[in-house]
Amino acid sequence: MIGFILADLRRLWAGAAVVILLVALATALGVTVTLQERALRLGSARAADKFDLVVGAAGSETQLVLSSVFLQPAPLPLASGDVLAKLSADPRVAWAAPIGFGDSFSGYPLVGTTRTLIASMVDGFAEGRIFEKEGEAVLGAAVRLPLGAEIKPMHGTAETGGETHAGVVYRVTGRLKPTGTPWDRAILVPIQAVWHIHGLGHHEDHDDEDHHDEHHTDSDHEHHGIDIDAPIVEDFAANAPGIPAILVKPKSIADAYRLRQAYRGGNTVAVFPAEVLTNLYATLGDAKLVLSAVAAGSQALVAAALILVTVTHVGQRRRQIGALRAFGAPRFAVFAIAWFELFLMVAVGVLFGFLIGLVAARWIADIFTVQSGIVLPVGFGKEDLRTLLLLLSTAALLSAVPAVLAYRQSPAKALRS
Amino acid sequence: MTLPETMLSLEVSDLSVSFAGLTSPVLAIGHLTIAAGERVAVTGGSGSGKSTFINMITGLDRAGTGSIRWNGSDITRLSETARDRWRAGHVGLVMQDFHLFPGLSAVDNVLLPARLARVADSAMIDRAHQLLSSVGLVRPGQKIETMSRGEMQRVAIARALLRQPGVIIADEPTASLDSSSGEAVATLLLDMAAAAKSTLIVVSHDPSLIGRLDRRLTLSAGRITADTAAKEQTR
Repeated sequence: MIGFILADLRRLWAGAAVVILLVALATALGVTVTLQERALRLGSARAADKFDLVVGAAGSETQLVLSSVFLQPAPLPLASGDVLAKLSADPRVAWAAPIGFGDSFSGYPLVGTTRTLIASMVDGFAEGRIFEKEGEAVLGAAVRLPLGAEIKPMHGTAETGGETHAGVVYRVTGRLKPTGTPWDRAILVPIQAVWHIHGLGHHEDHDDEDHHDEHHTDSDHEHHGIDIDAPIVEDFAANAPGIPAILVKPKSIADAYRLRQAYRGGNTVAVFPAEVLTNLYATLGDAKLVLSAVAAGSQALVAAALILVTVTHVGQRRRQIGALRAFGAPRFAVFAIAWFELFLMVAVGVLFGFLIGLVAARWIADIFTVQSGIVLPVGFGKEDLRTLLLLLSTAALLSAVPAVLAYRQSPAKALRS
Repeated sequence: MTLPETMLSLEVSDLSVSFAGLTSPVLAIGHLTIAAGERVAVTGGSGSGKSTFINMITGLDRAGTGSIRWNGSDITRLSETARDRWRAGHVGLVMQDFHLFPGLSAVDNVLLPARLARVADSAMIDRAHQLLSSVGLVRPGQKIETMSRGEMQRVAIARALLRQPGVIIADEPTASLDSSSGEAVATLLLDMAAAAKSTLIVVSHDPSLIGRLDRRLTLSAGRITADTAAKEQTR
């Protein structure tokens, strides 16, 4: 029977190939959407894993997380320097580190922060060492610059009409190990250097500067220098400059909730990034619903095409099926041939669809990783096996329709057709 | 390998087959008998009821009233599945269009129905090779689509004879062949039927084939209008 089916498929290989391709593409569309959406959830959750609590000036919680965890460039209101000092002195806090951004170099964001934060977030250095002077910088794992390279920071980005900070040069001293987060694409520099470049921290009266916006125009942005050999000071006093975000490491979970409560109101906002991401996932879920609907629509079109193919399939084989019965093939054998031939094509299409879907999702994930730094873990899980079995079961049922038609038709009528 | 041990006799009584939309039956036979081992030609013009006759006596169709008894068993009372099983065991069919399956070799075509019925044991495979050799085909592994029409009909005859049927029923076996191939196939069909000791019923317009059979039934408008023996045909 298998030999007969394979011979028949070889004979009608072009039609069989079209059926397999249609099923494969329809399946791949759904698989890609599912895998990509899941990978995005996992990847973003992992990226936020080490960000226990983020504190910033009152404003959008989502933007605070997107800017601090995912380094998405956006103007953020600045939290007062005394917030950082208070947090650093809080007994519930293991450590608190400022995060300052807004500058870039060669398309990579420059992030001003502390050595404590770097040591906590990354499992060490792939090469070199951490910065020890104001004029030193370390690279995220995905930054394509060599050790010893000179970095001339630009305020904002080239795309948004940014301007290079005249006379400011950092020297690269180390490269971090990969984290699978957007921070792999970042150049990390001492926060005090960021403050000094922007004319902060040198002065006692910085309270009038309450917004840090990378879209400054030339007229409202002053250039200041740094002392490249100055030692790094990471004790933050109450008169520290304003900062876009503070990453806080609470000593316990209970402390985390208390701190969030304490800094959630007035001029500050405190967020658990995981909580904000959950809200984002809800939006993502809606997007998945739309994508799934589009995928389902295209699959319905393919299903309609398959019905046409099935009708043609039975039509082409009516005489063949009639002849088989006329020459003594049992009806069950005729049913099995008609069923298995169609099921084989659909099943091969579904399996190819899963393979194509996986390859497509990985390809998209790779592009996303290059652009964002977030590693998206694309892979099949148990739920995909369930989907595969469901699809194959449906294919088995649908394939029985032409088989039943073939089974029921009189051999004399089939031979006359 | 199990083979039917007897050639079959046919008795048709009060058979009437009508199709929707037609005022008169397409086939009406009051009484007809064909003895076991007899070799009968069925002739008639287009629309005379020859195909319907073949479909009814082989159990391919069951659209009428009356009885069709093969060795006393009325096949009109059998279910479709039972008729398929009966036909597989007792009838060897040879058709004008061969109904061979491309992509399969000659021997695979001969064995296909037996394989699907799960009766193709080693003895039957040997018999398939012997039959192909007997019909003059020396390459049993040759793909069907690479054969001439004459060769294809030889494969079809071998297939019909595989399970040593009690009756061989051939529908225009030489109609699509040229005269020399037709002559060769006709000779082969008669010889092989004789060797298998099968009853032979042949629908044909081929005078040379008809002339070599024992009896001739002529159909017109669904009725048997003439039933003549070979001696009478030659008279």
